[in-house]
Parts: sequence; structure tokens; C-alpha cells
Amino acid sequence: MTHAFPFLLLPVVWSVRNRARRRQRGDVARAGLFGGIGLLVALLIFVTVFWLTWQLLGYEELGDYLLRLGLSWLFLTFLSFLAFSAVVTALSTFFLSEDLRLLLAAPVPGRRLFYSRFAKTIGQASWMVLTFLVPVLLAVGLACCAPLPYYAAVVLTLPAFVAIPVACGSAVTLLLVNVFPARRARDILTLMGLLFAMSLVVLLRALRPERLLSVASLPDVTGFFATLQSPVTPLLPSFWAGETLFAALHGRFDALHAGALGTTALAFTLLARIGFDRYYFAGWSKAQEARKARFTRLRPLEAAISRLPLAPEARGLLAKDLKVFLRDTTQWSQLLLLLALVAVYLYNFKVLDLERIPYMSGVIKNAYAFVNLAMTAFVLSAVAVRFVFPAVSAEGPAFWLIRSSPIRMSAFLWSKFWTGLLPILLLAEGLTILSNELLGAAPALKLVGGVAIFVMSFALVGLATGMGAEHPRFAHENITQVAGSYGGIAFMVLAVLFILVEVGLLAWPCSTYLWHEFRHQAIPADRQALMTLCGLAALGLSVATFSLSMARGVRALERLGE
Amino acid sequence: MIQVDQLVKVYGSFRAVDNVDLHVAPGEIHGFLGPNGAGKTTAIRIIAGLLQPTSGRIVVNGHDMAREPERAKACLGFIPDRPFLYEKLTAGELLRFHAGLYGLEANGLARRIAEILELFELSRWEGELIESFSHGMKQRLVMCAAFLHRPRAVVVDEPMVGLDPRGARLIKDIFRRMSARGVAILMSTHTLEVAQEMCDVISIIQGGRIIARGSVDELRALAGGQHQQLTPVFLKLTGGSALQEIDEAL
Repeated sequence: MTHAFPFLLLPVVWSVRNRARRRQRGDVARAGLFGGIGLLVALLIFVTVFWLTWQLLGYEELGDYLLRLGLSWLFLTFLSFLAFSAVVTALSTFFLSEDLRLLLAAPVPGRRLFYSRFAKTIGQASWMVLTFLVPVLLAVGLACCAPLPYYAAVVLTLPAFVAIPVACGSAVTLLLVNVFPARRARDILTLMGLLFAMSLVVLLRALRPERLLSVASLPDVTGFFATLQSPVTPLLPSFWAGETLFAALHGRFDALHAGALGTTALAFTLLARIGFDRYYFAGWSKAQEARKARFTRLRPLEAAISRLPLAPEARGLLAKDLKVFLRDTTQWSQLLLLLALVAVYLYNFKVLDLERIPYMSGVIKNAYAFVNLAMTAFVLSAVAVRFVFPAVSAEGPAFWLIRSSPIRMSAFLWSKFWTGLLPILLLAEGLTILSNELLGAAPALKLVGGVAIFVMSFALVGLATGMGAEHPRFAHENITQVAGSYGGIAFMVLAVLFILVEVGLLAWPCSTYLWHEFRHQAIPADRQALMTLCGLAALGLSVATFSLSMARGVRALERLGE
Repeated sequence: MIQVDQLVKVYGSFRAVDNVDLHVAPGEIHGFLGPNGAGKTTAIRIIAGLLQPTSGRIVVNGHDMAREPERAKACLGFIPDRPFLYEKLTAGELLRFHAGLYGLEANGLARRIAEILELFELSRWEGELIESFSHGMKQRLVMCAAFLHRPRAVVVDEPMVGLDPRGARLIKDIFRRMSARGVAILMSTHTLEVAQEMCDVISIIQGGRIIARGSVDELRALAGGQHQQLTPVFLKLTGGSALQEIDEAL
């Protein structure tokens, strides 16, 4: 009972150490892939922010003003993100974590348990924000040739800034768990988070940031930034963090804002602890209750599936997969965010003003049609990695049911493929046809786009299904984690490579065709042969990606017991 | 040693535990029996300090679980039915962490860990990751952790699940030795042979209420006295004609 709260975090540290010591096959490749991608993204952020800051510095006072405003807005965005992230994370760390049953049975004082779980929540809720903020603040500091105390200020400001929303988020979770059953609270939190993300996407688009790039609207730039200011901004911790760092950037110490940030972080943490002292055990106790769940029986769905001309086992698998998906709020609710992103995507094409450069508009429109094809395929990959890749893993510990039943693994995997393909195909075709229509692309390109995305959908869904079977994670705590696993990242890398090669193979024949059509010239026979070859190569690549992935997936499932 | 008074746990309108009284004296092995869904695990979890009761009082070694939870838990060893173990820790690391939770001094800890691992025949697995353990080994490791801090009372939920005959024999021996040293053991189980063989007192719970209590002989007498084995006695007391129904259904 003499140990301080960090002792309770030791299993995490020891587990990481043991994992590193006892490397398994593929661990180095995994670490290399994740580390490489992480470093690349950090480097990209660093270079972009460094360049941007460097440019701003050339504008004397305006540059300084924009930098100050930028810092404040950067922190404001992350403040809201952190608050929502903390609410969801706190539900898991304080109420649903498996190890709590071990810790709560031991004579661990409530305060120590609170501080250890709070530290864990801070770590889990903020690592992504910190990974983004560190290269940004480093780049700003280096571009401004900031003095050393700036870096010390960064190190001191970030934990205080992160602690405030996490304390608020944890308190909200405590309240929710005491009012609703934990599993219902999780659904409510998921929906709240998604609605928040949706509004953020729509809000950012509604601000019409493209105005900043328009030469004609330069005088409005300061006005644009001024609209981002509001009377409540100076009362928020994001403003204090931004001001503290801005002052440190110029070698000053802003005691008022630094003090406000530090004392608020301390006060909020203490208030959260008092709340947990009083209501935690009651909330945790309530979270263990297995209340009767409310769910929809989905009878029309069952009736519709029973009419499908499928084998009984395929009908059974399809009905099971759809019911599980539709009854899990964490699954279907993400479609709302997808809808918002699709709406913004299509809106972008609607407002694209290509007529400003009339002599180029035809070329740009057709080039955009290819960018659109690539973008739609990227959207498709992102949807596939989230919904199709985890399809096999989604069976979880219940996979024994499939393995012990007389269903062939190929039939099982094909069922997963078709269940994933149909909605994705619908989305991909809808996006391509609508955006090309809004863009006013050439009819030939519309046709190529429609056919290409059809074939690519088969390949990408096949790749996701097959790789999902090759890299299953049946022991996941949350199905959304599967997309971020090694297999998920590897799928995304392969999908991007596939899309680039496909678009490359199609772009040349299409541009050649349009060029000749524009000049009303016949295409020479040798060119025609090359163009056909390119088209066939694109088709061949898709067929190979699709069939090889599915075959490998089936083999991997059949070998699971070996 | 373990005193449970008027324990009630209500979920909505459902009374999972209904006015349960229990007393487990030092050195006593008290069996807690009941059909599925009778309220055994809920009661056990409340006694272990894992769930908040709706009403009632639990006292362990003179410490009230509601008012002095840390002191009460420090005297208690808990073996849950579905124990959580950190899969990426070794057996030795888990026990060192557990010792820290119970405030055991570092001085002499290595010897104590070696001793307890030896007792449960896990010595040569001390440096191995828990994820490589069989179910029975994990069960024995949980017991190592529960007995590590020399508790005055132990609460066990289904101790024999997943153990092979040798493991089951070992656990029975250890429980008897602990009981001989004055440790109070409250044991929930479905294995009636184990209860018959080991328990000094048995409480039978059904529908959240204790419907019968006594030694095996007293329960036999309560059920009519013609049965030697505990199974028919249990079925008679809990109204279980289910066996015949199952037979008919098959």
C-alpha cells in the first residue's frame, strides 16, 4: 500500500518491454512499416509547417498576427477533439477495462486508482494530438529561430493543455455511466463523437477555405481570419496555450496565460478526482450490470434475405453479418460520417469554378476526371479497410462456430466478399458518375471512369477480404482497432500502389484518345494496339489482385488450425 | 472472519441477491451452491468488494467493506471465475505486481514468490509469459496470487473449472492446509463432489435467497435422508427435475 500511483501502470511498461524482448516473426517488419509511415507523416507535417511559417514571417505584422491566430486555432481544434476523445477513452479505461476486476479486488486506494487511470486516459486520448503537435511546434520554433525557453514552454504547456479536456471528458463519462448503463453510454458517446466529427467536416467546408487561394479575394483574407475570432475564445485553454507559446516564441514569458493554463489544469484534475472519489464505485458497479439490451429484430431484412437465390448457409451468413452490423452502434454510425464526407466531396465538384480559365477548362476537366477516379478509389479503400478488412476478424471468439460447421472456408470468405462488395460498388459508382456529371467530363471519360471503378471495386474489395483473412485479429477488444493493425496498414499501402498503377495505365490511352479526338485525327494502328494493351494490363492487374488475394485468404483460413 | 448481513442486490426490478446472511468462521470451508443464475457470482463479487450492494453489510476480519474497503480487501484473497491476467507479463512479474498491490515489502518477496510457485507446481514457469500457459496453469497462477499475501479469508468462485485431476487434487490439499491454518474459505462451486468432500458448511442459494444451510449430513436430513450423494439432495432442495426433462428432450 506504500506504492504511488505510477506503480499501477507497471504492467503496461512490463508488457511493452516483454513484447520487445520476445520478438515474433514479422514484428520487425511491422515496427518498420508503422515507424516508417509515422516518421514520413511527421516529416511531411514538419516541412509543410516550416515552409508556411517561413512564408508568414515575410509579411511582418500580418504574418505575426496570422501565426498567433493560427496557434490559437490549432489548439482550439485539438481542444474539442481531445474532449471527445477523452470521453470515449475514459469509458474504457475507468469502466470497461478488463484489468479493473483485478485492481478493484486489491486494496488499492481510490485516489491512486484514479490518478493511474487518469494518466492512462491522457496517454490514450492525446497521443495522436501530441504526435501531430510536436512536429508542428518544432517547425514553428525552428522557422522563427525561437530561443531555448520556447521549447521548455512547449514541454510544460502541452501536458497542462491536454489535462484540462481529459479531466472534463472523464467527468462527463462518470456522469453518463451513473445515469445510463455503461453499454448504452458507449453507444451515446459514439453517436455524439460522430455527430461532432460530421459537424466539424461540414463546418470546415462551409468556411470555404478556397477563398484564401483566390487572388481576387486577397483583401478579404484578414476578414476571413477575423470571422474565426469570437468573444469566448480568450476564455478557452486553447487560447492560453497559444498565447503562452507565442510569447515564448518571442523570448517573453506570458505569466497570465501560462498561470491560467497551469492552475486550471490542476483545479480540473482535482475536481475530477473528487467526483470520482464520490461516484466512481457506484458507476463502476452499474457498468457491470448486464441489462437486457434493446435491439431491433430486423424482420423485413430476414424476409428479404430468405427470398435471395442463395444456398441456405450463404443466406445464414449474410443474415448474421447484416444483423450484427446493424445492431452495433459503433459500426453503422460511422456511415453517418461517411455520408458527410461524400456530401462534401460532391459539393467540391459543384463549386469547382473551371470556367475562369476557359482555354484550359477542357483539359483540366479531363485531368480532374482522372484525379476523381483516383480519389474515389482512395475513398473506396478507406471504406474497405474499415468495413471489409475486419470482416473475418469480426467473427471474434465465435469463429469456432464457423470452423466446426460443415461450411467450406472458401464459401465463408466469398460470403464476406459479396456482403462487402455490393454497398461499396454502389458507393463507388454513385460517386464516380455524379462527380463526373458535375464536372462535365468528356463522355468517353465518363464511360472509362464508370467501367474502371467497377473493376477496381472488385479488386480492392477482394484485396481487403483476402488480406483480412490473412491477418485476422480475433482477440480484438474493439472491431474498429482491426483497421489500424499491421494487416490494415499493409492493405492501405498495397491499395494505394494498386490505384496509382491502375490510374497510370488508364491515363495514357485516355489522354491519347482525347488528344486525337480534339484534333479530329484518326489514331494510328500501333498507338491503338498500345492503348488496348494498357487497358488489358489494367484489367489484368485488377483480376490478378482480386483472384490472388481471395485465393491467399482462403488458404490462410484453411491453414488456421495447422 | 467473513460476515455477511442482510445482503441485497437489485438490478432494476430484479432482486439478484435477496437478504443473504453468511458467516464463515476462521478455518471453515464454506460451500456456496446453487443452480445457474441463482445469484452466487453476484454475491461473491459483492463480498470481494467488486460490486456495490443495494443494501446490507460485509465485514472481513473486523473491517467493514463499505467503510474500510482497503483494510477489508487486504485480509482477503479473491479467486474469480473468469480471472483477468496480463498475458504479456511473466508469472513472476504478475506476482511481483500483485505483491505491490497488497503492499508486501520487497524484502523477502523473491523467497515468498518462489515458495508459492513451488506450492502450486509452477516454479519452472516463473519466467514464462502468461499467454503461453494452459487454462489449468492460469487457474493455479491466480491461486498463487490470491494466497501470496497470506490472506485471513479467501473467496473462491468455481475453483475447479479447467483443472486436471492432479491439479484438482493439489488445490483441494492446499485449501485443506490453509483451512487448518485458520484461513476462512468461502467457495462457490457447481462440483457437488468437491463440496461434499471439502466443505464444513454448505449454503444453497436459489432465486437470490439462501434456501438451505448446514453440514452435508444436515442437508441430507433436510432432503429426506435417503440419499448418500449430495447431487440428489441438491436437486431435491432446488426443485431440479431438469434431468428427466433433458432426457425426454434428447
